[in-house]
Amino acid sequence: MIEVTGVVKRYGAASVLNGATFTIGRAQLTTILGPSGCGKSTMLRCVNRLERFDAGTIRIGDVEVTGGVTPADDRDLVSRVREQVGLVFQNFNLFPHLTALGNVIEAPITVKRVDRAKAEEIGRYYLNRVGLSGKEQHYPAQLSGGQQQRVAIARALAMEPAVVMFDEPTSALDPKLVREVATLLRALDDLKKTLVVVSHDMEFARAISDQVIYFEGGRAVETGTAADVFERPSEPETRAFMAMLDHHADGERGRDAGAPS
Amino acid sequence: MTARRVWGIALVLVVLTAQGIGAQSPWERVRASCTLRVGIDATYPPFGMAEGRDYSGFDVDIARGLAREMGLAPEIINASFDGVFPALQNGTFDVVISAVTITPERQQTLLFSDPYIDAGQAIAVKKGSPIRSVDDLSGRTVGVQINTTAQFAMEKRTGINIAKYNTIDLALLDLQNGRVDAVASDGPVLRYMTRMTFTALTVAGGDYTAEQFGIVLAKNADDLRRAVNAALWRLQQSGEYARIYTTWFGEQQAAQSAASSSALAFDTGLVARTWTLFLYGVRLTAIMAMSSLLLGLPIGLGLALVRVQGHRLLAVPVAVYVELVRGTPLLVQILFIYFVLPSLGVNLPAYTSGMLALTLNSAAYMSEIIRAGIQSIDTGQMEAARALGMTAWQAMRRIILPQTFRRVVPPLTNEGIALLKDSSLVSVIGLTELARTGQELASRYAAPLTIWPLVAGMYLLLTFPLTRLAEYLERRWRPVTRGTE
Repeated sequence: MIEVTGVVKRYGAASVLNGATFTIGRAQLTTILGPSGCGKSTMLRCVNRLERFDAGTIRIGDVEVTGGVTPADDRDLVSRVREQVGLVFQNFNLFPHLTALGNVIEAPITVKRVDRAKAEEIGRYYLNRVGLSGKEQHYPAQLSGGQQQRVAIARALAMEPAVVMFDEPTSALDPKLVREVATLLRALDDLKKTLVVVSHDMEFARAISDQVIYFEGGRAVETGTAADVFERPSEPETRAFMAMLDHHADGERGRDAGAPS
Repeated sequence: MTARRVWGIALVLVVLTAQGIGAQSPWERVRASCTLRVGIDATYPPFGMAEGRDYSGFDVDIARGLAREMGLAPEIINASFDGVFPALQNGTFDVVISAVTITPERQQTLLFSDPYIDAGQAIAVKKGSPIRSVDDLSGRTVGVQINTTAQFAMEKRTGINIAKYNTIDLALLDLQNGRVDAVASDGPVLRYMTRMTFTALTVAGGDYTAEQFGIVLAKNADDLRRAVNAALWRLQQSGEYARIYTTWFGEQQAAQSAASSSALAFDTGLVARTWTLFLYGVRLTAIMAMSSLLLGLPIGLGLALVRVQGHRLLAVPVAVYVELVRGTPLLVQILFIYFVLPSLGVNLPAYTSGMLALTLNSAAYMSEIIRAGIQSIDTGQMEAARALGMTAWQAMRRIILPQTFRRVVPPLTNEGIALLKDSSLVSVIGLTELARTGQELASRYAAPLTIWPLVAGMYLLLTFPLTRLAEYLERRWRPVTRGTE
């Protein structure tokens, strides 16, 4: 579904992505795992075209984006990319002046020109899917952090993209809510979406992922099933990271770090 | 090529306009219009007084008499003394009859008729004051009206502190309150005012200068001046001039009409008599402020959007415009549009000029308020909207601006109220809005303590709906900004 080949992204002299190359399969849940500052969030923003990149290609379905495209070509390309890729932000970025339902139906109405009644039907369906029936008329400020995240997920799903990406979905939540998010993500399996989660939370990644990509130094170091990457890491960077986290987890045994059944 | 053609057309227009003006002499133009437009500052009893649209006074009667002798209909146009000469020069009036002393300095830029009244300078003091003549003023503070010959005379003498006032009644009131030691002004005015209303004051000594008032014309109006002089001569021959003089300066007349009003008390009877006269002023202030707000808001929004999202080629001129407007006083902008633009071929009537100045001014301030509001919205909002596939414009319209307006209601309300009060500055180009109405009536009745509280009350009534509207909007949008956690 997503093919990333040799993507390079620089901010001035500092380079954040150094030839990242990986493939993400259709209708799978893939976690991009790695330490802070490894470029994984930037990778996500490049896929969604919130950031430009300097070299390489990203192919999403049948749309191919090449690094350093001129702005004129870009506009049409960007809208085709965003048609296929939804994004759930780390701090949700809900629209505070709109209700939960308003947040969800805004883009279908303005971008896809769906009529309001139809959009509300879609909106209610997805709010129900994320467990927020009855909260349609609440404003973001009247919802808890976990509920706000669910609105953000429903908002992304309502555009019916093939891919939904999540930037650090567990970072703003307490451990109990982390488990709920994991459950929710697995409960979306029947929608057959390609889900991409960026996280540094190993327990969370282990619990939810079909595929894990270990990211470090702006590159995908290792790709494999959750079991492969966690139990039998082959690259030295991956092994070092796992060892560090194992040690860390040992010290904090008993902390409810979100492994659902 | 295109640019050159535009310049060519502009040049032809300028030449044609210049020829059009040059083709008719001032007197021919006046005669063709059948109207004599006379500029008067009607805050100067007994020469000029206003009660709403109703003008009276010595100069007003002279103006009407002259017009009759010339076979014209008089049109009295009331303007502040600061503004009468520029308005004469740009053709808003044909003549100014407003207690103007003939001086060599003024003769350099203006044309004067033969003198129509002798009026020496005098000083007024409190009864019982040790000051007996103009020679006792050294080391004292003397009140004058701005830009009058009294001010010039006091400036020539050494050791005198000068306090300048917009109108003569304010100077006399301050004398009565003891803040100045004397007031210098035209003898006839001081004698009239001290007899009529400021009864605690008296004129010290006789006139210390011999001055004469003349009718003022634009520099090029030689033929009109001959016609005015001829009419003035006939007015004096017919005995009409003597009748007018007695009406305003005769002893018995003054004693008879010595009004009961007192400068130092709130006079409810006067409120009852004058409050309807304020309605014109209230209406003009309300219309000017409301229209410039309603026009300024969309313009300001447009300017803000250009600066935030527009191309640099547009954003830079907008920034320059905002800087120019914010960096210069509104008063100067009004004067520029009304008095300077005509010399560039753009001649707008006073009403349009005032409205234009207020609108351009409020648009600049509102654009800055809205721009700051837009930039205060978290960048994540724009990113979220763009990530959902909205274009930059859709995101601005549906996501950013609705949040911006909720934030900028309080500062926009402030701007609206400030604009409403600043609209009083349009009085310099002769528009009789609320504050100017107050000034005229305060002079006419020499009753500042009655008139100014009334003016203040009316401004409050005008701002009240604005603040209520702002409160309503804030209340309506409150649930959105309230956090429950």
